[in-house]
Amino acid sequence: MAKSKYQRLTRTRGRSAFALAVMSRTSLWLDDDHLLFVDSSGYAETYKRFYFRDIQAITMQQTSRGRVWNFILGPLAAIVLIVTLVTKPAGPPASWSGDAIAGGIILGTLAVIVIVLLLTNTFSGPTCKTQIRTAVQVENLPPLRRVRQTRKMLAKIRPLIVAAQGQLTAEEISAQMRETIPSAPTQSENAPPVIS
Amino acid sequence: MFNQPEMSPCPRCGAPTLVEVFPALFRKINPGKTGEAVMVEGESSCFYHPQKKAVRPCDSCGRFLCALCDCELQDRHFCPACLEAGRTKGKIQSLDHKRTCYDSIALALAIYPLLIFYFTLITAPMALFVAIRYWKSPQSILRRTKIRFVVAIILATLQIAGWAVLLIAIIIRH
Repeated sequence: MAKSKYQRLTRTRGRSAFALAVMSRTSLWLDDDHLLFVDSSGYAETYKRFYFRDIQAITMQQTSRGRVWNFILGPLAAIVLIVTLVTKPAGPPASWSGDAIAGGIILGTLAVIVIVLLLTNTFSGPTCKTQIRTAVQVENLPPLRRVRQTRKMLAKIRPLIVAAQGQLTAEEISAQMRETIPSAPTQSENAPPVIS
Repeated sequence: MFNQPEMSPCPRCGAPTLVEVFPALFRKINPGKTGEAVMVEGESSCFYHPQKKAVRPCDSCGRFLCALCDCELQDRHFCPACLEAGRTKGKIQSLDHKRTCYDSIALALAIYPLLIFYFTLITAPMALFVAIRYWKSPQSILRRTKIRFVVAIILATLQIAGWAVLLIAIIIRH
């Protein structure tokens, strides 16, 4: 049986926070000459190919999403833990009623889930938004949501893009940018004369 | 700002940003060609535009093409008809941008209705039909195994067998 030529770059991720409801999942794969962005609904897959020779830029911008989640999950974990400890029945476990044990199990499970989510979010590092730019599109890459993960992916594909296109030094980029984006006209040249 | 190892603040919003720029950003886009008119009698002309000079043959059908009809794709040259045929028939994989995952559909039809077992009377034959009908159809370009089809066929067969046994038991009892 033929093996898929694609190498997985990221895990499958929801397109947005509401992705669970619409089942839209995205992932990124690597081939010899292109990146493949897969958007899957579970029953159909849409593909976008970004050829290394066509990629103009990759942008990664840090976002506050991770901090916001920590801000929500931290107090929630504290509340669930406090409630679990406060409602713990007095006396040895052998003397606890069936209801108290059931309540303890439910609250304990909830506390563990929230704490695991909090720790996972904290240790995964800062969140980011990644975009890839070609001559005809700017595409968000939802599977790349963490700075560390995006850096790892960049380290993997940068040599491939450089092999396909060559490399520019910082000075060359600055010079090219000045050529492409002409500087704003100075006031002395184009401004109307000032009446004093 | 560009191609720096560390993130630097965006001049507009101040958010830490890293921008990797590649030479393609500064590459000029070549303007499209219209094709030159045939000047000398007997000169090979385009299959689609007989008044235009042919510049190369199509790599798929061999028809002569003018500069306007020459569609380049991954260093290969196609005529518009072959390009369209390649896209619709899935012959040119790089033009393949959407696939239906029939294996996932068959598996879903075989598994989810088990939650309300009565539905399997209808969905089990449907799952079996989808699995057999689309067994050879192109799958996801990422997955290459037919395990979903196999599981769907086994589950659907078991469900149909279960219904058959139940039906026979009812008939024998009455």
